[in-house]
Amino acid sequence: MTDFKQIENNLKKEAKRLLEAGEVTVVLAYGRGYDEKHSMPFAAKTSADVEKLVFNEYCNFNMARYLMRYPCGTKIAIAAKAADSRAIVQLIQEEKVRREDLIILGIPAYGMKNQKTDEVVDSKTTCGLYNPPLYNILLGEEVHGQPVVSPYEVLAEYEAMDKEARWAFWKKEFDKCIRCYACRKACPMCYCDPCFIDQSKPRWADKAPQSPGNMMYHLTRFHHLAGRCIDCGECSRACPVDIPLYLFHKKVAKECEEMFGQAAGMKLEDKPVLVDFRVEDSDKILE
Amino acid sequence: MSFKPKILGIACNWCTYTGADLAGTTRLHYPQNLRVVRVMCSSRINPSFIFRAFQLGADGVLVGGCHPGDCHYNTGNLYARRRLAVTKKILEFAGLEPGRFRVEWISASEGNKFAEVVEEFTAQIKELGPQQKLKIDELREKA
Repeated sequence: MTDFKQIENNLKKEAKRLLEAGEVTVVLAYGRGYDEKHSMPFAAKTSADVEKLVFNEYCNFNMARYLMRYPCGTKIAIAAKAADSRAIVQLIQEEKVRREDLIILGIPAYGMKNQKTDEVVDSKTTCGLYNPPLYNILLGEEVHGQPVVSPYEVLAEYEAMDKEARWAFWKKEFDKCIRCYACRKACPMCYCDPCFIDQSKPRWADKAPQSPGNMMYHLTRFHHLAGRCIDCGECSRACPVDIPLYLFHKKVAKECEEMFGQAAGMKLEDKPVLVDFRVEDSDKILE
Repeated sequence: MSFKPKILGIACNWCTYTGADLAGTTRLHYPQNLRVVRVMCSSRINPSFIFRAFQLGADGVLVGGCHPGDCHYNTGNLYARRRLAVTKKILEFAGLEPGRFRVEWISASEGNKFAEVVEEFTAQIKELGPQQKLKIDELREKA
């Protein structure tokens, strides 16, 4: 198992060192919420703040979301698990943040606990990695030697469904949506300003939380995140009505990986698949 | 009453739209269920256009662009190819019949191909029947 206490100590140590040396202005990590289970995103700005940092198995937020709150050029240290690190790589690819502004404190972990169900979610089944692909300092020991499961295994059940059944399933799920936009708010890749759903000219979708607008909102959002979603699962965790948004994102990510041979947020030199093309792409992808 | 499908055609100005023009000037017959919207390039097509078309009552959407490599803007349709492939996968996973959305490369000299594609696509949509899944409720009641 991952030694969370050790990681917490390392996190505090590194945060203190970086802040005192003036290498960074802010350390983005986790702080205590109203109880152990509900840790919160926390930005430590002074060495006194460092004592408030925590890290435990419930710290499953993707802190990459908060990077874009700081003006370009701010030196930031950020605690990043595997998925978070992928998100940062993706943001660097998209030129939303600069590599030289970041000190990534990598956190290797087998998985984090879900606050709602108290189950450990194996990181291999979500973003497919235990260790962050990009980091400056690793806060724990690298994790190895777990049986390899495909992150896309969970999809098999839904892919095998008849299309009518699948439609009924998604219709039911999207009908639950109350359009709180928590998924958009939590997503590290959703940074458009304004979001298409907030535009009124043209008005892309109905704003009432009813079926057609919900469908339009979610389908378009899946499209906007195609080839960019790094499968941190933050949208589903943030969802107050428990729509399994991660399933759809995963499916789109899978298709993109199959069609274009590249997963999101793995290498700094990659380009997001939909702002890139190959002349030798096959027309078969359109069938 | 027999089912008259409503089909949205989105055609690129330089190839497919000119191809459609050629089909017209050579007096080719093809079904009149297609309503063509001209765009300057197939990469102009926002995927939301397609989702919205289905919501507003389209039974099928046909996108036409230049053959890859022939784009008037050199690379537009190469971006469009990737983007529309994703759109197709999304519609499919949501549970819409995959046959309702089609992308074809039709050049300005392929009036015949345009007529054939429209004929074939219309027949396919007729077979699939009215699209009821994405259609907004107000429209569904009227039908």
